Amino acid sequence: MSSDRQEGDVPALTEDIRPGTATDPEPGSDTEATVTVDGTEVSVPEGSTLLDAVEAAEAAGQGAPEGVGGTAAEVPALCHYGREGIGPRSTCRTCVVETESDGLVAACSHPATEGATIRTDAERAAEARSVNLDLVLSNHNLRCTTCGKNGRCELQDAAIDADVEEPRYGVLDDRDAYEPIDDSSSFIQIDRNKCILCNRCVEACNDVQVEGVLRVEGSGADTRIGFQSGVETMEDSTCVSCGHCATVCPTGSLVEKGIEDATTIPIPGFTQKNSVGKVREGTGETRGPMTPKKGDGATERQRASEAEQEATNAREAAAADEERRDWP
Amino acid sequence: MSDTDERVIRVPRGHDALRDAATGDTVAVHEVGPTGVGAVDPLITATAAGETAFYVDPGPDRVRSAAAALADGESAGSAGSPDAVVDGDGWTDALPRPDLQGLDRERHLLAGCGWRRPASPEDHDSAGGFVDADPDTVLDAAADLRGRGWGDWRRDEPVGPLWERVADSDTADPALVVNAHGTDRGTSADALLLASAPFEVLEGADAVARAVGASEVVVYVNEADEAAVETVREAIEAYPDPAAPMSVVTGPPVYRAAEPTMALEAIGGADRLEARLRRPDALPTLGRGRTRDGRPALVHTARTLGHLALSLRQNGDPTRLVTVAGDVESPATVELAEEEPLSAAVEAVEPAGEIDAACVGGRFGGLTDSLDVAADPDALADADLGTDGRVELLAADRCVLEFVGRRAQFAADANCGRCVPCREGATQLADLLRDVYDGDYDAAGVEELTRVMDGTSACDFGVDAARPARTAVARFDDTLAAHADGRCPAGSCFDGETSNDAAGDSTTAAAATDGGEPAPEVPR
Repeated sequence: MSSDRQEGDVPALTEDIRPGTATDPEPGSDTEATVTVDGTEVSVPEGSTLLDAVEAAEAAGQGAPEGVGGTAAEVPALCHYGREGIGPRSTCRTCVVETESDGLVAACSHPATEGATIRTDAERAAEARSVNLDLVLSNHNLRCTTCGKNGRCELQDAAIDADVEEPRYGVLDDRDAYEPIDDSSSFIQIDRNKCILCNRCVEACNDVQVEGVLRVEGSGADTRIGFQSGVETMEDSTCVSCGHCATVCPTGSLVEKGIEDATTIPIPGFTQKNSVGKVREGTGETRGPMTPKKGDGATERQRASEAEQEATNAREAAAADEERRDWP
Repeated sequence: MSDTDERVIRVPRGHDALRDAATGDTVAVHEVGPTGVGAVDPLITATAAGETAFYVDPGPDRVRSAAAALADGESAGSAGSPDAVVDGDGWTDALPRPDLQGLDRERHLLAGCGWRRPASPEDHDSAGGFVDADPDTVLDAAADLRGRGWGDWRRDEPVGPLWERVADSDTADPALVVNAHGTDRGTSADALLLASAPFEVLEGADAVARAVGASEVVVYVNEADEAAVETVREAIEAYPDPAAPMSVVTGPPVYRAAEPTMALEAIGGADRLEARLRRPDALPTLGRGRTRDGRPALVHTARTLGHLALSLRQNGDPTRLVTVAGDVESPATVELAEEEPLSAAVEAVEPAGEIDAACVGGRFGGLTDSLDVAADPDALADADLGTDGRVELLAADRCVLEFVGRRAQFAADANCGRCVPCREGATQLADLLRDVYDGDYDAAGVEELTRVMDGTSACDFGVDAARPARTAVARFDDTLAAHADGRCPAGSCFDGETSNDAAGDSTTAAAATDGGEPAPEVPR
């Protein structure tokens, strides 16, 4: 994409990137550590988390005799990516294990300390993983039969592995609550009804590609993936269509155009695009890829838009601080 | 302050007409902060020869009359028909204890509120402040001092061991954040201290800064608490020889902004507030912008640091600041010894009707039908009540289900959106509570969900948000079950029903709570 840059473009400045996320501490251990996972001792190097120890124990059990290595229970770690410096976001809490020293912890973001002892099958840990997985499903529209990620969806895999048949809290099945599918871009389709807010896309966009396009915005139930430029559609955003967000997306929320119906059940008229009944279409205009750092004009517009967005966010935040809704 | 011949009228800041009415040639007028007791606001005091007269909400004429009497050399008690008089046996550096509701209790940390000029180092010095304590003394005093409030990084835990670790380590350049963002604006004890006794807080912060070698003290305040912001800025300007530069940073007026890591995000200039992950073995950092290379930061509430300052100059049993609000005529912040029951704090207010229940411990406190629980954090935890120093009274016509349902919905709306157990859990919790109205009361489901929210949320917002519903199910199970049968014992949820119609002739909302147990104690 860099070949599309115009003369006079300035390089991306990471300090101008506003992903809307907190600055977390480094999650890993300061030293190598020996950790006991369900009775199996494993050694993990410096920089490891308890999830690394769990994975090491799982690896130790593969092909080993019964009772040697492995873990007593499945630890989905749904939002975990573990590559390219993305994460851990530790949002889904489906990696909860019980430790002797700190009780229940999210394994993906808890440092592996020397001598730590954890149980994956502790009753409270198993309950927490199960409830939290169902909570993720409760805000996912689960229209797998039209979804382009059907069969290669990490949420689907986790639900199958956990034998979820009927999620406690149901699934997002309220047509009034659906967000329109953003089909405006020629390259990437966004279906926020399938988003689990794992933040991988935001980190890929900002920390790996350093494009500064995507961000987390809003709060509470209104939290969503939006655009740092304050626009509403992918077409109007400063996206350069690198596709990294779609690559890392665990569900069918960000899918490359052209394969959004790759696994849709072949029934006429049955498509991902019309699956929720609301679509934001593109204008059809041809636009070159953009970055937020391209030229002064774009920067000024972006800043004006950011200021407006910030004011809106502040108003919404202040309103949210009151118990404003009717009850029940 | 020690001049017993001085005649002084004290007027709360912001009441210019009363101040002007008091101003004359021979009587000193001191502008002071609020007392923390809403029922007596604005409180004017007239002091001469150790005697102090109290005037509750007087008009300018009464103040003028009192000032004139003092100017004529009359005794304070004879001027302008005061509401109370305290005949002191000499000058005092603390607000005397008049026979006025809410002010007739011992005050230690609150002693200067409504009495000392908040930005006057002389007043604070006369009261024994600005103790020159060496680091070892500070760390000793902090050994058993526990963090106050959900904005404290060491909530309910002793702060001394942490400070000692920082002082002993080669931690470079630590920062100290005084988190006074408060829990509920308008009735926050932290904001009260900044508005009325900021030197107590700043002295505590200064002592910690010296003890741990902090290079910066940042006072973080809710931008809506304008009096606190203005007053603490003045006090910082006047602070004599601080160990480290002090500054004030305001945060947005949203509840979650008081959470320690979100406070650090706000101070660092984040345009969106969400909780950080915590490492059990490390301090959070304070940096500007998106950097992990900030300085390690201690985050403690104004209350915690005020109590430290007090303990450096007074030997005494620990106290807790408790704000009583909810269904009351006016909220009040009072000081309890830790072993005192919370019911003692209720005596400081006038309840608005018969009180059958209370929410103890902040916005996400625990529901209870008895306030016969000590203010000590261990006792509160044992009773599954919150420790955030706030008691919200619920009148008999206020429905417990509606109360906890609204709190769950607030949690769903106001959380930062980061972690699933809080974001989605609060949404589902509100839905489970709504389902009760449709006849589906799933107590086990509420217990399971709140257990997971409590055990796995990323920060204390989600941990605490589980408490109102959890305690309502545990203690007001019959009240919730009645709603599933179409009855609201408080008579507020279903059209055309009264309390008696709904609950039967011998059942009230509170009496229905314990399934045949004796009627619960009314929290007075």
